[in-house]
Amino acid sequence: MTVEVDGLVKHYRVQRREPGFGASLRGLFARRYHTVPAVDGVSFRIDAGEIVGFLGPNGAGKTTTLKCLAGLLHPTAGRARVLGFTPHERERAFLRQFTLVMGQRNQLLWDLPAMETFLVNQAIYGVPEPQFRAALDELVALLELEPLLDKQVRQLSLGERMRCELAASLLHQPRVLFLDEPTLGLDVTAQATIRDFVRTYSARQGATVLLTSHYMADVTALASRILVIDGGTMRYDGDLRALVERHAPYRLLRLTLDCQVQPADMAAVGDLESADGLAVTLRVPRAATKERAALALSSLPVADVAIEDPSVEDIIRQVFTQR
Amino acid sequence: MTTRAVPRVYPALLRAAWGSAVAYRGQVVLWLLTSLFPLIMMAVWLSVVEEAGTAGGFDGPDFVSYYVAAAVTNHFTVAWVSWQWDEDIRTGGLSVKLLKPLDPFHHHAIEQLGKKLLIGAVLLPAVAAAAAVVSSIRYPVGPGTAAVAAVAVVAGFGLNLVMASAFSMLSFWSTQVHNLYQLWWGVGFFLSGWVAPLELFPPTLRRVAVLLPFRSSLGFPVEIVTGRLDGRAIAAGFAVTGAWSAGFLFVYRVLWRRGLRRYEAVGA
Amino acid sequence: MTGSQAPGLRAGTYLRLLGIFYRNSLLNEMEYRLKFWANVGLSLFWLVWAALSVRVYFRFTGTIAGWAYHEVLVVMGLFFTVNGIHQALIAPNLARMTEYVQKGTLDYLLTKPVDSQFLVSLRHIGVHNWADPLLGLGLVGYGLARGGTAPDAGAVGLFAVLLAAATVLLYGVSLLLQTLTIWSVSSRGMDDVIEGLLETGRFPVSFYGGAVQGLLTAVVPVAFMTTFPAEALLGRAGWPVAVLAVTVSATIFLAASVFWRFALRSYTGAGS
Repeated sequence: MTVEVDGLVKHYRVQRREPGFGASLRGLFARRYHTVPAVDGVSFRIDAGEIVGFLGPNGAGKTTTLKCLAGLLHPTAGRARVLGFTPHERERAFLRQFTLVMGQRNQLLWDLPAMETFLVNQAIYGVPEPQFRAALDELVALLELEPLLDKQVRQLSLGERMRCELAASLLHQPRVLFLDEPTLGLDVTAQATIRDFVRTYSARQGATVLLTSHYMADVTALASRILVIDGGTMRYDGDLRALVERHAPYRLLRLTLDCQVQPADMAAVGDLESADGLAVTLRVPRAATKERAALALSSLPVADVAIEDPSVEDIIRQVFTQR
Repeated sequence: MTTRAVPRVYPALLRAAWGSAVAYRGQVVLWLLTSLFPLIMMAVWLSVVEEAGTAGGFDGPDFVSYYVAAAVTNHFTVAWVSWQWDEDIRTGGLSVKLLKPLDPFHHHAIEQLGKKLLIGAVLLPAVAAAAAVVSSIRYPVGPGTAAVAAVAVVAGFGLNLVMASAFSMLSFWSTQVHNLYQLWWGVGFFLSGWVAPLELFPPTLRRVAVLLPFRSSLGFPVEIVTGRLDGRAIAAGFAVTGAWSAGFLFVYRVLWRRGLRRYEAVGA
Repeated sequence: MTGSQAPGLRAGTYLRLLGIFYRNSLLNEMEYRLKFWANVGLSLFWLVWAALSVRVYFRFTGTIAGWAYHEVLVVMGLFFTVNGIHQALIAPNLARMTEYVQKGTLDYLLTKPVDSQFLVSLRHIGVHNWADPLLGLGLVGYGLARGGTAPDAGAVGLFAVLLAAATVLLYGVSLLLQTLTIWSVSSRGMDDVIEGLLETGRFPVSFYGGAVQGLLTAVVPVAFMTTFPAEALLGRAGWPVAVLAVTVSATIFLAASVFWRFALRSYTGAGS
């Protein structure tokens, strides 16, 4: 078991700011605080080599959980263990075996070529030269870093910088990767590059990956298993496909019609989801997809038909609204 | 923004500046501490008069009164806007400020003002209390002269603002402005009345110092409130302050327009 | 790679890291030459200026609190030396602390398998300032020559011990203050305080007399940074002072380390 989390709780103490001149002056001497439960009793387990997607809206507690696992935050209650270590004790042996990448933060030396950061990390992690060269060569090839290595980091685009950031974080060949929004702000191509890289890297190294992202495509492309968290509690933990089946017991029949049809005539096929001129989308029960499709072809003036699953975005939204 | 609208914007921005100043209370303590630096010089002079009796007509209480007033004056007149200008111009932060309908100069001025009001709210009562308890702190002037001294403090702040801004405009062309300003300020440090009251300088040096802009923001207001200047000397002091302010304002505006043209041409 | 390493190897790792860090600091400076010489010029200017401005005091008296002009110059030279050490080794790190906290870089530093205190306090050097301590020592030499005093080997040895203790002490005090930055104080303001405290070291502590002198010796140990090393060179101090200085700087160093660890516990929310 690589990651074990049992009843994890993390509360923050936040200062209460009151408006007004007098209150601001009073605040100089006495401050009032209130407690915010960022994570409120979360439990899950991750096996070695798994890639797990961590989903939830802003402020759901994803980053807080990740920081607890990386040893940056001390849990208020509950237990977290990674590779058999208690993260917040920050033992050297533990720190050597994982990495944390945060999409909106930067560890590269800004005014120097990325290679300098790589060398700093080599020294910090004590990676022997041959091992370092091998890891570097592999990362340079996978992330196509060759043309970037001698450019100042400040001159790189956001996507290029993220690729260098990933390389810097992986030179010590960690067994566990915590990726917090690694594709934040990147364009579609750059997102795809990062995604492909994480998949290949995890497969090659057998690394365990826990990934948070706002982009559903990241998660659907990489993770077979997802954790959904909201308001600090776990909403779902399991197979992505099972989630789709459980929360969306229907599929979408997309029809292109030859001529206008009255909605009543389509009722036998399925529930009308949307209609845009001759393009109509009907919702049909998952188990009866075939029969309904056949019915549509025989009873309606169909020019073209396609069967789709509802988007994961829609399903997740549904999970969040079922409180 | 028209010049007429600026005064109306000040109260709102000042509230914001006050708010952000209050938010960091640790910072407030630090500012208070740094306000006390002139007292170091006071301590040295007290050691000197202990051995020499008096120095150039100043006795112990004279030095105490002089440097307590200097600490307050310095707090209100100092204008640390040069590094902000510098940073804005070099990192491109200026572009953001240019989008707003208020000249960046006022931004910097208000930020300084917010801090000054906050520290002043603590510093002035403290000094008043100290003056009530410690008999050697004495200011033998009437309310009228004290008001003139207050005006001199405000004028000193204004001069420092335009002076620092004028120097900062050179950042459009050079990266070494900070060093240059430090050098300038180093000269001023000595000639402002900080190291010693100007009366204790050799006469030639004193005559030069009185004509330079540095005394306006320290020695001049202090000399007024300690009752060491007659009406003529006060008028002369204001004339010097006014002349330098006008000069630096002119230089600042000219360099600002040219620098901005260059900045926009480079496309930072 | 396992976590258990021989201590010797550890020390080697840290030295290697220092080498890489300092090289990076140097690479970072594109206009190194220009800035270096501009800084040397500026420092020289300040040095001469300060030495001249002290003369204003001596217009009215021959000695101040028992110190003659040339002796004050020795103290002032030490002030520039210690201040130079501050600028070269300590201030560049202190200046970045706010950024570490605000931009979350501290999070990255904490996930590294290297002592975090080392990473935050010795990561950067002021590459243009390395000549400042030497200029300061130059003024010390001038003061000694002007007074016609030639310290013997014992005095120089004592001085070396006291200066080393002063450096450790300065590091400790700075780290203590730097650590406060974790609780939302800007390090720009913190640097002003440290510079202000150092500024009191411009003169012998006895200039301040009474309570302030006691304060600068026992509470804010500025006396250990400039006055005592100067007294060693002038033949006014004995070995007991050195023992005291080493004890004080070791204590402050340890206290600072403990305080840093305490601050990290608070940063990670232990016990809240």
